[in-house]
Amino acid sequence: MSRFSGTLLLGRERLRVRAVALAVGFAALAGAALILASGYDPLSAYAEIARGSLSLAALPDTLNWATPLVGMALAAAIPLRGGMVNLGGDGQLVIGGLIGALAPLFLPGAGAFGAAAGLILAGFGGGLYAALAAWGEVRHGVPMLISSLLLSYPAIGVTSYFARFPLRDVSTGLPQTLMVPSDARLHVLSGPLNVGSVLIATIALVVVFADRRTSGGYELRMRGKNARFAGYGGVRLGRQAVWTMSCSGAIAGLVGAIIVLGSQFRFIDGALVTPAYTWSGLMAALLANGEPVGTIAAALFFAALQTGGFAMQRETSVPRVLTLVLQAIVILFLAMRRGLGRRM
Amino acid sequence: MVEIAAVGIVKRYGGLVANNGVSLQAERGEIHGVMGENGAGKTTLMSILFGLQEPDAGEIRLRDAPVRFRSPIEAMRAGLGMVHQSFKLFGSLTVWENIVYGAEPRRGPFVDRGAARERVAELAERHRLAVDPDARVRDLSVGVRQRIEILKALHRDARILILDEPTAVLTPPERDALFAVLKSLASDGRTVLFVTHKLHEVTAITDRITILRDGRTVVSLRTADTDAGEIVRAMTGRNINVTVEKRQAQPGEALLKSVDVTIASPSGKRVVDGVSLTVRSGEIVGIAGVAGNGQSELVEALVGLRTPDSGRVEICGRDVTGADVATRRTAGLAYIPEDRAAVGSASGATAADNLAMGFHRTAPLASGPFVDPSAFAERARALIRRFAIRIASERADVGTLSGGNLQKIVAARELSHEAPVLIAEQPTRGLDVGATEYIHEQLVAERDNGRAVLLVSAELSEILALSDRVLVMFEGRVLADLPQERADEQSIGLLMAGREAEAG
Amino acid sequence: MIQSLFTPFLFQSAAQAITPILLAAVAGVICGRAGVFNLALEGQMLVGAFAAIVGSYFGHSAFAGVAAAMVSATVFSLILGYGATIFRGDPVVIGIGMNLLASGLTAYLLRVIFGVSGTFSDPGVVGLGRITIAGLAGVPLLGWAFARQSAVTWAAWALTALISVVQFRTPVGLRLRGVGEQPEAASTLGIDVVRYRIVAVLVAGALTGLAGAQLSLGAVSVFAEDMSAGRGWIAVVAVMLGRNNPLYAAAACVLFGFADAIGVNLQSHGLPNQLTDMAPYVVTLLALVITHRRRIIGAA
Repeated sequence: MSRFSGTLLLGRERLRVRAVALAVGFAALAGAALILASGYDPLSAYAEIARGSLSLAALPDTLNWATPLVGMALAAAIPLRGGMVNLGGDGQLVIGGLIGALAPLFLPGAGAFGAAAGLILAGFGGGLYAALAAWGEVRHGVPMLISSLLLSYPAIGVTSYFARFPLRDVSTGLPQTLMVPSDARLHVLSGPLNVGSVLIATIALVVVFADRRTSGGYELRMRGKNARFAGYGGVRLGRQAVWTMSCSGAIAGLVGAIIVLGSQFRFIDGALVTPAYTWSGLMAALLANGEPVGTIAAALFFAALQTGGFAMQRETSVPRVLTLVLQAIVILFLAMRRGLGRRM
Repeated sequence: MVEIAAVGIVKRYGGLVANNGVSLQAERGEIHGVMGENGAGKTTLMSILFGLQEPDAGEIRLRDAPVRFRSPIEAMRAGLGMVHQSFKLFGSLTVWENIVYGAEPRRGPFVDRGAARERVAELAERHRLAVDPDARVRDLSVGVRQRIEILKALHRDARILILDEPTAVLTPPERDALFAVLKSLASDGRTVLFVTHKLHEVTAITDRITILRDGRTVVSLRTADTDAGEIVRAMTGRNINVTVEKRQAQPGEALLKSVDVTIASPSGKRVVDGVSLTVRSGEIVGIAGVAGNGQSELVEALVGLRTPDSGRVEICGRDVTGADVATRRTAGLAYIPEDRAAVGSASGATAADNLAMGFHRTAPLASGPFVDPSAFAERARALIRRFAIRIASERADVGTLSGGNLQKIVAARELSHEAPVLIAEQPTRGLDVGATEYIHEQLVAERDNGRAVLLVSAELSEILALSDRVLVMFEGRVLADLPQERADEQSIGLLMAGREAEAG
Repeated sequence: MIQSLFTPFLFQSAAQAITPILLAAVAGVICGRAGVFNLALEGQMLVGAFAAIVGSYFGHSAFAGVAAAMVSATVFSLILGYGATIFRGDPVVIGIGMNLLASGLTAYLLRVIFGVSGTFSDPGVVGLGRITIAGLAGVPLLGWAFARQSAVTWAAWALTALISVVQFRTPVGLRLRGVGEQPEAASTLGIDVVRYRIVAVLVAGALTGLAGAQLSLGAVSVFAEDMSAGRGWIAVVAVMLGRNNPLYAAAACVLFGFADAIGVNLQSHGLPNQLTDMAPYVVTLLALVITHRRRIIGAA
């Protein structure tokens, strides 16, 4: 057990589990107060969240929601592990989504090839766009925290433009691209779940492995603890920043393509951004300080929370947006306890 | 009459007793030296006097009345002023703004700029501390900044002025100017407490001296009645300074070379001025010099944190002048940085992780791109054993370690690189005697194993004891390259002060 | 084309677009000077915008809206004020957390209080009226800008000037500058660093409340989810570009406000709004790159 958990949860991270539990408890109380003040019953609301996410019938939906959420959480966690922040997830997400929607339509070749190409190119697109922010800091001193965020607005704007005008599917009245042909869609597993979930799960394992068992993962962790130490120790910080952000953006782009090729089958303007996967993913990563296993656990928890939120809204009329409020409270509570965050 | 006295001050930090019943008395109009080696308790005592900390036992008396300072503000109101070792100034503000900060003359809701500048000019003239009230502090030299610190205290009409190691960063002419100011303040009826560990300064300017050792007051002497020998004996408890057992050096080929390295600051001033040095295998070369004469910048250029404006750096025959740190480490460099906490280690990471930095891409810790955590742990355990580091386990966070043990971690890592070239900057700063001796032994062992060791230290005794050759840096130049036999404290001291001719 | 671009209307809409960003930027400057990195401007503005609508609706006046906005945003700022000082949390995480909390909370309350989602507008909401100064309309450029603006816009510029004076001419301002630069030194000289920081954050909160009020009650009285739409981040950049100086930050805001207004103007010339909406962000990015490049060259 000790050897396994030693690899699974590095020492200090175990202490944080208690802090996280406290934070969740505090958030639950604060949320209950809010629900009460809104005229609803907190206990039934919370009961619906649990039932609507963890019951056997609801599990497929929860896992389906978890797929992009875990993906975006990993995208945020990778730079965070090294003390860097990628706030441009939305931009990278939509770029990946658009590429994923267009590849099967414009590339020659049969269905599966189109899907695979879409996924790979989406990863490239997201990765390059994120690397732009890193390059801005390495070369020009522009903090990637700010530039990554600012870059997502043009990305959303341009993809929105494409979906509404030149690449629009005029047969429908909506701002979306043409439908992805059925042979290029991601293979369905059961119910709402598709191969995309397996892909994300694989990526999750790879990230955990890379963090623990590769020299790149070691260097990133050390940079997160003390960037100067890493630099003096021989780590090439500039190169590391660009590579880290590229991986981050690539995963985000991939998530976009997975949503398009697996669930929506078109690029629909706004549909990738509205569910707030990016921000919930960021919150999960912050909760775990970028540590991969904790991030995945937090992301799964948030996915359950949000899926349950739909049920809560349906059954008790409490707006499901509440789940986002709860998530934010957890983060803020943890931040106050000095366990969270670093000199970034 | 006795102006200020500390009676039986006791202060503990966890298990460490910094002040163990320390007493001190200074008379009005006196310049009183407070002496002791590193770690003797001088700074702790001064911070208690100034209200930065409160003692666990004992009391402070001001003109024979007991007082308690719960904060520096209370101490300042009682007439104390302090010039700290690291200045507490606001770089982006002007000189006058810094001086009147917190005690600003007002005109209605506004700061009365005219009155402030007048006051500054008046104080500067009266005490002969020339400053330009409108200059921005960040543009000013260390000597001028110190004057501003003194003016700050005088603006609040300090009757007792405490200076903590004020000459550590001054050039000789600046130091002489400071002494003139202190003498004038004393004749003005003010009391000056002058903390230092430098012998020649104390004999030059003080009226009386209190000597601390290991947290206790050893003796209080009248400067005129004593001599250097007695002072040293009181400070160290021994007659001689640091000695290290070592065999004769057997230097081989040159492993570290700098050729005519020059580094200029943005204003054009040459911080490092055409420095050429060679360190051969099997020798320790020490760089002596007052901090701020270019040593740090030179080391940055050698290590790869800064590219020189001109000149060349070679490690093991390879030209690494423009190369980054990683390349130089591969070429054969190990480096113990000055700041073990901010740079030499990562607090929050385990000892195993800290000890692995630099080895994490090669066997046995890595194969290909993969690393083996159990190999990390094994290596860490071996190093902890070998260097006798006191830590719970290799999985413990290094942030919990004492200064000495943390330095051992840094040294253990860098020494285990077995790199041909080792650069060590202030390797024993803040360490107790035991840890210091250990580090010294390791450096000599490295040298005996054929490594080239470059030692940069502000502790002259350390340089003299360890180095086979001593270089003295002054204002960016190397003034002398002396073999150990010809390096003595007298001549090195003169060279450090820039007095080449007299050093002979 | 240029002629049709620089109309009085452009200056008017520019001045209006600048107002919330300017107020948020000045708020950011105050926090910056105190040494508290404020990334929550976006969320604070949003809270203010929502509270303004609520206040105006239930209080039946624009004044009630503005008051509610300022109070709410100030209370919201307590999180940053205490979090970054007494609780020693990381201001970056706190800022991001606050933005997310604001987004979720305003959306939640929108549904609970008004029973709608997305946007809310109602004749019961009293907007900020325009103050028309007849004489000014004749003055080219600046006159066009200020001929018809809300009281908040006037207040924004007045406050910018006031804060600038306080910062550079009063004891409080001097001490604040010291607190941000070297809190340890300030503390040794008797300044209560924590108190200065908390007060600075609260004052900044009030300003962001005002910014939010201008957003939701300024032109058209409407609240839309996430309506701060990145303006808070532009304000952060303005603070960075202005090096914590209110006047330089204001200059940056003017630049961004114009980019925004030109974007809107270009829409009427046929360009799709998805592209023109990007204008202020693209300009901001360019400004960041250019100024940082110049700084790197200058340092060499």
